[in-house]
Amino acid sequence: MTATPVGTDSQLVIAPMLIVLAAATGTLLLGRYPRARAAVSLTSGIAYALAVAAIDWYIVLAPDAPGIATYQVGGWPAPFGITLVADGLSAFMLTMVAILGVASLVFSTRHLPGGEGRSYYFPLFHFLALGVTGAFLTGDLFNLFVWFEVMLMASYVFVAYSGGPQHTRAAFWYVTLNLVGSAVFLLGVGGIYATTGTLNMADLAQRLAEPAAYGLEPVPVVGLFGLLLSVFALKAGLVPFQFWIPTAYRAAPPQVTALLAGATKKVGIYAIIRLSFTVFAGAEVGVELALPGMPIAGDSPLPFVGAALFVMATASILVGGIGAVGRDSLEGVFAYSSIGQVGFIAMPVAIATTAAAPGLRKLAIVAALVYALNHTLAKGLLFLSIGTIRAATGTSRFADLGGLAKRSPPLAIAVFTASLALVGIPPLSGFFGKFLVFDAAARARAGPVLVVLLVGSLLTIAYTTRAWNRSFWGAQTDAVETATVDPVQVAVLAVLAATIVAVGVGFEPVYEFAELAADAAVDTEGYVDAVAPQEASDLLDSSANGGDH
Amino acid sequence: MTAIVLATAVGALFALGTFLLLQRDLIRVVWGLAIISQAANVYLLTMGGIAPAVADSVPILAGHGGGAPQTADPVVQALVLTAIVIGFGMTAFALVLSYRVYEEHGTLDVTELGDRR
Repeated sequence: MTATPVGTDSQLVIAPMLIVLAAATGTLLLGRYPRARAAVSLTSGIAYALAVAAIDWYIVLAPDAPGIATYQVGGWPAPFGITLVADGLSAFMLTMVAILGVASLVFSTRHLPGGEGRSYYFPLFHFLALGVTGAFLTGDLFNLFVWFEVMLMASYVFVAYSGGPQHTRAAFWYVTLNLVGSAVFLLGVGGIYATTGTLNMADLAQRLAEPAAYGLEPVPVVGLFGLLLSVFALKAGLVPFQFWIPTAYRAAPPQVTALLAGATKKVGIYAIIRLSFTVFAGAEVGVELALPGMPIAGDSPLPFVGAALFVMATASILVGGIGAVGRDSLEGVFAYSSIGQVGFIAMPVAIATTAAAPGLRKLAIVAALVYALNHTLAKGLLFLSIGTIRAATGTSRFADLGGLAKRSPPLAIAVFTASLALVGIPPLSGFFGKFLVFDAAARARAGPVLVVLLVGSLLTIAYTTRAWNRSFWGAQTDAVETATVDPVQVAVLAVLAATIVAVGVGFEPVYEFAELAADAAVDTEGYVDAVAPQEASDLLDSSANGGDH
Repeated sequence: MTAIVLATAVGALFALGTFLLLQRDLIRVVWGLAIISQAANVYLLTMGGIAPAVADSVPILAGHGGGAPQTADPVVQALVLTAIVIGFGMTAFALVLSYRVYEEHGTLDVTELGDRR
């Protein structure tokens, strides 16, 4: 990696993307050599993590770091070319994906699910990671759509991967929903282009901040952003767009579900945060809209988004929590739990969109990010543990499980840690996530929100306790008695559990990183300056004067 | 006039696509998906509009001293090209999936699929 100080224009930004693209094509070419394939996958996974660590340090965390860096693809200046942007928010998200991605890769080398399609597992895995990485790094709205599609295509195949009739059916539903979602995304993108004349996020933010100077009529942007919000909510699995989650999460291989819950869901959340605060926060719309009970007025589209997010987050927390309590298998519980937990992440985002004070807005975004990190670690661990349990016992239904704690104490300790993190017991990472979310809600003086959060937390305790009691305690069933768990898989789980503890115990640096990420999210000016979108006439002048580009 | 024709076409395509999407037959659902994604493409094209005849609209002509004609917006055409390719791939994938659903479940009726768990 480059040791030279990183400027605001750096090739480091594209490094993780290139690594994962090379890994995807490389493993595709090595289709007939399983060992080489696994080795290449692991190596590139580690290289990816190193590249992300380099972005974290040189661009965001180092004392002399610029805080934001861009890469103009093909050397074309923004907004004509595609811009990749790595700032605190992108780096924070990429770090989560890198941690979980490496864990899931190591896990996958030990036990590869599926029969005939096995040689496509690693290429698909890397393409999924590629889509996620691209979505976090891109600074262009249409390019975001393309990365969403890359990510989705890999995930479509993963949902159908196990090859049973129920998997095919789940995949068909999933494909149908997301194709409609993609069409809606295109509608939003097209409308925004027609309204503002640009798709570059920095250019968009700049134009929307001074619509008069660019001769724009920005009011349609509110509705178009609503369209985009529904697509992002579909990806994140917020109610009322949650219905695909249980079937898809049950159908995909558990180590991929870990990534779907830990990474692709976060892409939806990331897109909401990025577009709300970096792009649309400064928009001068000046509309008044009266919903029953809550008159919304304002200069920016954010209060409208906030109102929708409050409803969706509340519904997600309740539907996810209540749904999780009654499931009869581990995947069922944790899939519904994902719906509830993403509600916990969306709630502080909603608070941030309606917050008037900059301090509260920042605090709420930090809360959302810390909670997202906790969810990625804890839920990733839990879905991976389902993979271990299924490989060992051949089942994950509560009726056939019991006494796992006695069979494999290390596995039990790891799952117990993750469950406690989900509930939010100190000193684990989940405690700070929950604490910050409650803190933001209390400071916003949102009484009803506090009640919803409290009910959601109680439901979390109920379903994690139930899952634990049914599968880890009690008498050992036949399936459990004959089971032997894979030591490497359990080691991966133990490392993730240790990470959860470490994040909680050494929370200070994590909090600082999340603060930098939140700063980056609300710093529209810094974002625009770094991308530096040009006018078409500037470009023509420079080429007419013999300047080369 | 063009605007009305295009708006009607986009509206009709979306209506037809939505209608097909709500059918019980899986093949019709795939048709619905294909039509909806094409409707989105047509919509995207109409969003570009026509650029007035200024030098900026065709830099290569302006740079070589020629007059610039009135042009359709090239950006949306690039976008649509990408969207068409993605849509084509997805339709093919959805068709393969529906064939596999038929092989495994012996039916293409959505309501019957729901009954057999």
